[in-house]
Amino acid sequence: MTDNKTPETAHGESYSVEDVLDQTTDKSFSQGQLVLRRFLRHKAAMTALVVLVLVILLAFTSIGVGPIPGWWDKDYLQFYVGTNPNPNGAPTLQLWPFSIGEHPFGQDTIGKDYFALVMRGAQVSLFIAFTVGIVATLLGTTIGSIAGYFRGITESLLMRTTDLFIIIPLLILAAVFGRTFGANVPLMALMIGLVSWTGLARLVRAEVLSLREREFVSAARAIGTPSTTIIRRHILPNALGTIIVNATLGISGAILVETAISFLGFGVRAPDTSLGLLIQTYQNALTTRPWLFWWPGIFILTIALCVNFIGDGLRDAFDPRQTVE
Amino acid sequence: MLKYVAKRLGQSALILLLGSVLIFVLVINSGDPLEDLRESQDPNRENRIAQRTLAMGLDKPWFVRYANWFSGVAKCVIGQCDLGTNREGQAVTALVASAAGSTLRLVTLATLLAIVVGVTLGIITAVRQYSGFDYAMTFMAFVFFSLPVFWFAVLLKHYAAIQFNDWIPDAHFSPTTIIVAGIVAAVILVAALGGSWKRRLITFLVTFGIVSGVLAYFDAVTWFRRPAVGLPVYILATIGAAVLVIILTSGFQNPRVRNAVGATALVSIVGFVVMRPMLMAPREDPATFSGATWMLLGCFAFAIVAAVVAGQLLGGFSRRQATLASVVLALISSVLAFADLMLSNWSQYIAVISRPIPTIAAETPNFQSTYWNHMIDTATHLILPTMALMVISIASYIRYTRASMLEVLRQDYIRTARAKGISERKVITRHALRNALIPLATIVAFDFAGLIGGAVITEQVFGWKGMGDLFQTGLRAVDPIPVMGFFLVAGGAAVTMNLIADLVYAVLDPRIAG
Amino acid sequence: MTTETKANDAMSQEAVLQFKDLDVKFKTEFGRVHAVKGLTLDVRPGEVVALVGESGSGKSVTATTALGLLPGNASILGETIVANQSIGKLNGKQMRNVRGNHVAMVFQEPMTALNPVIRVGEQLTEAMEVHGVAFGKEAWARAVDLLKAVGIPNAERRAKQYPHELSGGMRQRVVIAMALSCDPAVIIADEPTTALDVTVQADILDLLRSLKDKLNTGILLITHNMGVVADMADRVAVMFKGEIVEQGTSEEVLLHPQHPYTKRLLDAVPHLGVGHGQFGEAVNPVTSTEKALEVENFVVEYKRTGKKPFRAVDDVTFDCRRGEIVGLVGESGSGKSTIGRALLGLIPVASGQAKVLGSDLTKVKGRELKELRSRIGVIFQDPAASLNPRLPVGDVIAEPLVVHNRGNAESRRQRVYELLDAVRLPRSAYNRYPHELSGGQRQRVSIARALTLSPDLLVADEPTSALDVSVQASVLEMFTELQKEFGFACLFISHDLAVIDSLAHRVVVLQYGKVVEKGTREDVLLSAQEEYTQRLLAAAPVPDPIEQARRRAERHALLESLGDRVAEIDTRELDQ
Repeated sequence: MTDNKTPETAHGESYSVEDVLDQTTDKSFSQGQLVLRRFLRHKAAMTALVVLVLVILLAFTSIGVGPIPGWWDKDYLQFYVGTNPNPNGAPTLQLWPFSIGEHPFGQDTIGKDYFALVMRGAQVSLFIAFTVGIVATLLGTTIGSIAGYFRGITESLLMRTTDLFIIIPLLILAAVFGRTFGANVPLMALMIGLVSWTGLARLVRAEVLSLREREFVSAARAIGTPSTTIIRRHILPNALGTIIVNATLGISGAILVETAISFLGFGVRAPDTSLGLLIQTYQNALTTRPWLFWWPGIFILTIALCVNFIGDGLRDAFDPRQTVE
Repeated sequence: MLKYVAKRLGQSALILLLGSVLIFVLVINSGDPLEDLRESQDPNRENRIAQRTLAMGLDKPWFVRYANWFSGVAKCVIGQCDLGTNREGQAVTALVASAAGSTLRLVTLATLLAIVVGVTLGIITAVRQYSGFDYAMTFMAFVFFSLPVFWFAVLLKHYAAIQFNDWIPDAHFSPTTIIVAGIVAAVILVAALGGSWKRRLITFLVTFGIVSGVLAYFDAVTWFRRPAVGLPVYILATIGAAVLVIILTSGFQNPRVRNAVGATALVSIVGFVVMRPMLMAPREDPATFSGATWMLLGCFAFAIVAAVVAGQLLGGFSRRQATLASVVLALISSVLAFADLMLSNWSQYIAVISRPIPTIAAETPNFQSTYWNHMIDTATHLILPTMALMVISIASYIRYTRASMLEVLRQDYIRTARAKGISERKVITRHALRNALIPLATIVAFDFAGLIGGAVITEQVFGWKGMGDLFQTGLRAVDPIPVMGFFLVAGGAAVTMNLIADLVYAVLDPRIAG
Repeated sequence: MTTETKANDAMSQEAVLQFKDLDVKFKTEFGRVHAVKGLTLDVRPGEVVALVGESGSGKSVTATTALGLLPGNASILGETIVANQSIGKLNGKQMRNVRGNHVAMVFQEPMTALNPVIRVGEQLTEAMEVHGVAFGKEAWARAVDLLKAVGIPNAERRAKQYPHELSGGMRQRVVIAMALSCDPAVIIADEPTTALDVTVQADILDLLRSLKDKLNTGILLITHNMGVVADMADRVAVMFKGEIVEQGTSEEVLLHPQHPYTKRLLDAVPHLGVGHGQFGEAVNPVTSTEKALEVENFVVEYKRTGKKPFRAVDDVTFDCRRGEIVGLVGESGSGKSTIGRALLGLIPVASGQAKVLGSDLTKVKGRELKELRSRIGVIFQDPAASLNPRLPVGDVIAEPLVVHNRGNAESRRQRVYELLDAVRLPRSAYNRYPHELSGGQRQRVSIARALTLSPDLLVADEPTSALDVSVQASVLEMFTELQKEFGFACLFISHDLAVIDSLAHRVVVLQYGKVVEKGTREDVLLSAQEEYTQRLLAAAPVPDPIEQARRRAERHALLESLGDRVAEIDTRELDQ
């Protein structure tokens, strides 16, 4: 429609439809800054971001990482007998008046501290989800942009691989890798990442295909810019929206895949744990000790939901067309 | 078109072959198939290890093992499939045959329901963009999307099923329940339909009246123990559906569509009145069951053929639209008829099975009863797994349909349609919907792969001995043969689904065919 | 009947479309935009009123109010009256009864205005059935008649086809037929010919003119093209930033403009036949005989799966001397842009050669090719797409220096400042991003980038087509100055003969990938020999109603001498 910002004074003499370049301020906003500004105004996404950061902090500071101790004094492998005033090892967490008590999330059937267990599970699940997300994003972006820009063999290879993943569900492949590498969490995460890139690659390819026909890319090619520079400087920055949005969605997908294969018994193995494995272990305790079932589920749901909301906020920030105030 | 289908089939076969090699290699390298024996204290250990090594061909290189398996599969061409044996020596062909049915039933039902529900909700959210309904639905889609399916399935099992089973023996609603349910239904419908305040008020009152009235009636006659639709209700419902279909497709001005749909409705009603006694006949002997199934399918096929004939003969200028509308009506009336048959047998079923919503297995074991009781038994076993499986798909269909619909509603030709003075309802149903569905056709193929993965989990939670079980036990035992059986069925189904999606795509978009 | 008596005649009748003190504001992300500020205008039966203005003038918004189709973020004051009904006071149903029935619209973009999945005939019958004009078979027959009436051959078959099977001009005829389907009292044509080739435009304008003559339909014509106004309008209203600054008969406004904006606008329109010097100083005559570009037997093919390749450029030969501007003219599909893109190395050349200053572009490789490329500059059509949105202006202009590794950061910065001065942009633009600039400013940045390496040859692919006419004038003026200063040879690709006329030394006319005619500007544009060139010239409208009426008569005579029919509504088809 009309983007008519010329001050009334422009009427007087010139009768020009061209806006006078505003010279009063030297402040310029790059696309990135505009996106960030829109994202920061997206209430749902910002709330989700805060919650996710809190969850991550909670998971990693409470029981510590590796040799670094956390502020929570209990360990996820130890048994604690007689420390819980509640029967059956029920949670001691109280909202009003607020107190966390001895075992805020309760204890399991053999006296393990469930808070420590859930924190450990969240650590492992988050680690796997982010590793898968990052590996898949790097791979998907590289393959997708090569396929989109150079077409040819890479492109048909990509399309056939995608066809392959239509008939082999990701969960099945992940389960096979989990069965193979489940004892080694980083390796398993890497392997799942290595097979999760096709969706992003397809989207990046489509984006690159349309970007390479844009005139600024033609202009860059016409002055003799090398292909790698064109991809790095002209194409990828403009495909950033697609990449970032789908990377977040990839992370939320990965957390669901990881918990699902752990639930099937093909993922993380005891004594280590993950949120999916916790649910599998205690699924029959739902009637007797419901907290054993609820806590890990709520954590999975919270993490996945937050990541999805962040992705949605990013999508709106990169593509403001869909949102009208 | 035929050439295109053949080409796609060829490509798919190649991909299937490639996929099978990949899965085979990955599975045989996923662990040690002799692990359990190595750790056992059995005096006969060495012997058993040797035995299993021989049976599974562990001493041979992978390609020999693959070739052995493949040569068996290749015999399918001459109708003698041999999918090999698992490490216990059971024939996988037989295992697959018994498992495939229940799994495919589950996945297909979940796919179809997810598409219908998801697309409908997606359209409504797009049309009512930025309304309370839109926000609520979008939020729900996010929750569904982020929901771990196994967790949700366990919750369903423990709450929905057990609560319902506890309630069904007396099947009474409290007055509070009736009023609350009426208000909730009315609020949802008002949010979805929108309109002026006056219209909203009327919608609210009417919905509240109908819902709470119906619930009170159900309560009074304990309908949930003795539900009945009966012929009069069936006839009324079919006529109502016909009216709805006409309104949604052409409106009442077009006599051709009106006549074709009317004829279809008449044929459906008469056909069902004639056939109902035969279909209802109590059959106890399992040998007659397949005959009854064929009779059902025959009636269904007859309804569809009648619809096509009516559309073609009476459609005249609007032949295409008339045929489409008639077929849709035939589908609806068939579903109604099926529902009537099922419900009419419900009271008998709960007389035998007192807790009708099962949480385990795909059918009641050793259940010997009438044909319809078996039918209901299968259906009740499907309810919870289907719900668990559907949620994620519904979420993605809502989101994709909404985005696609909003995109289409921005197009110039929608403005052209509005400028012609066409009502908003027709702009949506006639101009926007079909264009919005085009990109969705490609989503279906990807979504189906996700559903097969989801089915493995759902079957585990609900204790089905389906394809998922075959996959899991195979993988756990590092035994590729059952996993390959799973892959053949799942992959084959995915390829078929993909092909259907492609064909639908070509039908929806004339630019492809031309 | 002359236009004047007819306009008087129309004056006595009651208006079919009236805007009274119309005022429209939009709420946007950046605050309120006042799009239309108290506009009053009316259209009578059998009269064409042109609403003229540049982008952002509010002309399309004004028209859209008549159909009540503005988006929800608009707030409307004042009154729009169609068929004695005030649009703002109607409810949904009454509004729909007005749309299509009393007022119909012809949109700018025929490629997207028709629903791709519904047959043409069904899209036509739809409006008839909604408004109860005709049903079923009768409606279909009328749809076919309408298609015949707007001059679509083989109407029975066409009605059963989908929009993608029709050409652009054909689709615009379908849109017009659709607008006519319920005999509306007034048709609003929003830039109905902007997306079309000039010969197709002339046909569509002939067709629209016959509507008002034969069916007594009132037409509100929205356009930015003064030639179209001169060709069609009885009365003209000139809009600037939401207000009508001047209105009157087309003779009054176009020949004796009173308001400074109208004068400025008319001065900015290039006149076919006037030649060099329309915008600032005339270009220098060519003195050099050295060839900057020699294209010989040039062939470019596009591969198609399953079919033999499509020859977009077929055996084309021409040349361009140092300091010379060669205009490459043709309609869509003529291959003019393909030649430009092939010369830039963006698409492969099938055969033939293209020598730039002696070295053959189709043969050289590697470093030599890169070196050669540094001597060719390029300007593209779309100012919105030709600059990378992620890079600030300074980086955009300096990019060729970086790619060819010339100078250091400081010398590059100096060069960018020089170029910003040359294209008359303030130096503060250095850190600005493309989305902060207007279309004309972006195109200046494109020109600056093209000149960064002081190229010997410039390929300008429709550099002013997407700009408003007044912006085009200032860009052309600046372009001429730069050409005189830098002395580059230029291949100027355009569909607009008047623009070519204002600056080219020589002209090459293309059709279907082949050269139809080439020669000096005077030879080709003033005394064309080939039939196609003559058609092109005859179809280009000039912004002078009297002159244009004469040209139109000449064109009709030319068409008849060539055995073609003048496009008009065939009322016989509709009376049956």
